[in-house]
Amino acid sequence: MLNSLLNRFAVDSGPVVHITPGILTTFHGFVITNSMLYAWICSTLIVVVLIWVAHSITTRPKGGFIQIIEVGVEFITNLIDSSIGDRKKALKYAPMFLTFFFFIAFSNLLGLLPGVGEAFTLHGSPVFRAFTADLNGTLAAAVVAMFYVQYYAVRESGFRKHIRHYFNGSLKSPITILLGLFEILGEFIRVISLALRLFLNVAIGEIIIAVFAYLGKIAAPLTSLPFVFLELFVGVLQAYIFTMLIIMYLAVAIKHDHEEDTLDHESVPESIQLQEQHG
Amino acid sequence: MLYLADTVNLTVVGKGIIMGFGMLGPAIGIGLIGAAYMNAVGRNPEVSKYLGQILVIIAIIELMALLVFASIFIIK
Repeated sequence: MLNSLLNRFAVDSGPVVHITPGILTTFHGFVITNSMLYAWICSTLIVVVLIWVAHSITTRPKGGFIQIIEVGVEFITNLIDSSIGDRKKALKYAPMFLTFFFFIAFSNLLGLLPGVGEAFTLHGSPVFRAFTADLNGTLAAAVVAMFYVQYYAVRESGFRKHIRHYFNGSLKSPITILLGLFEILGEFIRVISLALRLFLNVAIGEIIIAVFAYLGKIAAPLTSLPFVFLELFVGVLQAYIFTMLIIMYLAVAIKHDHEEDTLDHESVPESIQLQEQHG
Repeated sequence: MLYLADTVNLTVVGKGIIMGFGMLGPAIGIGLIGAAYMNAVGRNPEVSKYLGQILVIIAIIELMALLVFASIFIIK
């Protein structure tokens, strides 16, 4: 009797989950996947909504959705300011980081809407899929982010000085060159770790929701609800962490050169000569 | 014992071992971070504003736990 009761509320086989994106159509040999389709929809929506917010913003805050966007913009700008330590530069770099923050946050949140996932299927693959739940998408985001970090660092300090900051110390010693090569390898590892972190957090969140909705059977909305709320939190948190990490990488790439500059101005031999003259 | 080996699906056992031991490290690591953060806040309440940095470090460690979770889907 207990067994039959258990069978009504729990099942022994797993739910259907996709980790790879599904191919919807091909357009002149160019493959269109479900995550790409949803990314286009999301980015169009984000552009429209943010342009509307930019037009309807007022000096005196009216509250509501506009103020949430305002708080996010202010928060990320302050974050860049405190990391780089220069308000002017922070305002210069803010658009790129804000784009990443809002795109990832909105993609994560819109990916949790009902209808996204296994609800509608075409040729056995879901029509909509969250852009960040696809490793290709997050890898592209990470590559673009790190490319921009390198571009800003080169523009800030020049190509030679930027390459030189990886090799910290005398160039004659082989240890400096070995450590510098490891630092450059670290840049590529950063790309992979950024992509994997975002992808795994979102994809595994979806899997967990699917598993708990499947286990619940009749009470599926009840059992998966806590995990949906968890994913709402994780979605915004991951957008913040992605932005925070690329800000850190940019701050490190810029700050190293600054310290070397101050060392060059106060070179040691001059100060010794001054001391000799005074003494 | 032979009878047991015939009926028990060893893939499930392997997945269980992976989840158990793989989650052990990240769990201890995140626990240590939380303990250190609470300790620091207890000594000096002003450092509670660094919660954002703590979340970033937790996210770096969480990646290891997520890799473990992802690897159980690879085992067939």
